[in-house]
Amino acid sequence: MTGVETTGSAAAAVAGQRLPLLRRPQRPVHLSVTVILVLFILFALPQLMSLYYTGYMTLVAIYSIVTLGLGLLVGRVGLYSLGQGAILQIGAWTAARLLFATAQPFPLVIIEAGLVTMLIGTLIGLPAIRLRGLYLALITLMFAGAITVVLATVNFPNGGRGFTGYNGNQVHIPPIRRPSIAGTDAAYFRYAVVVALLMFVLVYVHLRTRPGRAWAAIRQSEPSALASGINATFYKLWAWALASFITGIAGGVLAGNAHYLYSVNFTTQDSIILLAVALMGGVYNLWGAVIAALLMQLLPGVLQNLGVSYAWLTILFGIGVLQVLTTAPAGLADQVPRDLARLGRFLRRRFGKPAPAARSTP
Amino acid sequence: MPSWAELEQFLVSGLALGGVYALSGVGLVVLYRATGVLYLAFGAVGAMGAFIAFEMIQSGTPGWSAWIVCVLFGGVVTLVYGMIFGPPLAGRDPVVRAVATLGLTLILFGIMDLVWTVTGGRVRSISLPTDNGGFTVLGLQVTWTQVIALGGGVVLTVGTAAFLRYTKLGTAMRAMANDREITATLGVPVRRVEAAAWFGCGILAGIAGLLLADLVQLDSTTLTFLVISSLAAALIARLRSIAVTFVAAIVIGVIHDLLTPFTALTNYRDMTPFVLAAIALLWASRHRTVMTRSGEEA
Repeated sequence: MTGVETTGSAAAAVAGQRLPLLRRPQRPVHLSVTVILVLFILFALPQLMSLYYTGYMTLVAIYSIVTLGLGLLVGRVGLYSLGQGAILQIGAWTAARLLFATAQPFPLVIIEAGLVTMLIGTLIGLPAIRLRGLYLALITLMFAGAITVVLATVNFPNGGRGFTGYNGNQVHIPPIRRPSIAGTDAAYFRYAVVVALLMFVLVYVHLRTRPGRAWAAIRQSEPSALASGINATFYKLWAWALASFITGIAGGVLAGNAHYLYSVNFTTQDSIILLAVALMGGVYNLWGAVIAALLMQLLPGVLQNLGVSYAWLTILFGIGVLQVLTTAPAGLADQVPRDLARLGRFLRRRFGKPAPAARSTP
Repeated sequence: MPSWAELEQFLVSGLALGGVYALSGVGLVVLYRATGVLYLAFGAVGAMGAFIAFEMIQSGTPGWSAWIVCVLFGGVVTLVYGMIFGPPLAGRDPVVRAVATLGLTLILFGIMDLVWTVTGGRVRSISLPTDNGGFTVLGLQVTWTQVIALGGGVVLTVGTAAFLRYTKLGTAMRAMANDREITATLGVPVRRVEAAAWFGCGILAGIAGLLLADLVQLDSTTLTFLVISSLAAALIARLRSIAVTFVAAIVIGVIHDLLTPFTALTNYRDMTPFVLAAIALLWASRHRTVMTRSGEEA
């Protein structure tokens, strides 16, 4: 996952064209840091964390897929969606319904949930994608509101009968099942991380091949992309479908994680907060998705531990959105390394010797 | 199938709700045309103003001063936001400027969550003195608040249309909606005209918040997201026509409330704005629309 900042610079696009995937890593340090980080998260972290934080970190892994999809839409294609929370809910609902209705293996179910979500998401996006960006943002915001209304009535499946699979009078509610290899919380955390990794790879491959170059061209200028023979609507729709697909998969993993899903836990402002953290994390960089998920899902856990109200976090996200949009469009994923480098330079000047420690973190 | 007698009362409340949506929708469209900003914090600003008014009334302040504070709060917050974040974002895409107002929404929402926490299902509401008075027309009970809501929507739509058509400031706003740069070159004080638009829109947010806190309920989530209904009306008008916004808002309000007595549909009535806006959008996108560099339709 090196060289993740392929934001459409001409050099990267040309390099990608020559040898799409099999070229030598441009920055071996970054690659090895990433590999070590992934191995640490997979094998060491579950042993080190308490059960409390394992739960929150599982949510971070799941939501990093959602923010990855949103970052792809906003940063690579320039489509602002205010309805990703609703799309996640559709994925979770579909997966929960299938897990109760069938005995299919878990991975198959989440892929099916992803496909169903992709279909619904595409149907929603189709009319708006042909219009200008503001309309897509508004129609997705209204979609988020509408889905909240529908789910408040339909409810998440709890093992009942019928299409909705909800039985309000049920006394013993069966939990939504998890894959047999990942029954415990620590194992499910690893499972979620592996799924998230696969989704990151899927998006990375897209960015490094034909669709990625088309998206970069569309983001630069849609008329010139059209002029050079790129079917802009098709590739925008592709990005939209891909984001819906991976968000649906995240919903499937979320269903297994929660065991029980309640519609009161999903609100319209989740969709807005998702866009806020995605922008704060940084939409031009795949690391931004991870930072965004940490902001959205780990910080509440930390705050709850400290006894601080979640409302402060909402205020922080609001300030963060305004700050990112006015002064730092690339978000924390860009700002933090830059500030660290600046700090490193400052320290070097101050103490008159090299301070390489501040350079290695991405 | 409910009888007409049952539907009548919902028609009245629907018209009142539609009036508030119209008032909000017109405010949103005018601000969007004048400054290019779609003000998504409209609902949150109104909600916060209503909460402040609620708190003042609880502590024994006379009602009228609380209402003025609520309305002014909307105006001042909106004006301050517009003055601080308007200029740095002026050159950006409309969608970026709309998303930035969501930052303000989240800040206000967090503050409301912090100060006025929901406690044990206690429902807050503001009751205006106009609730008690009223009259009967064709056997229908109508309160003065409902009259004010619908009348406010009508007066505001007509008034704004006249204002934009006949006053100097209105002409300046229309000019800016067409082309900001040329308007500035012609000597129109662009910043001052924008400030007027921001303040006016904020005042409307305060009024809408106050009326909705009476007609619906005083709840931060409900009021913040009621902006979606006004947005739908503005969207049906393609963020352009004040008259279409008004009609769409009334239709949304009436359909929303008329669905209440239908048991099969009553839980889904909050979807009305979304469904209507989606249909309007499908209709609008039946021809391919090509976008230009600035994001405006060609």
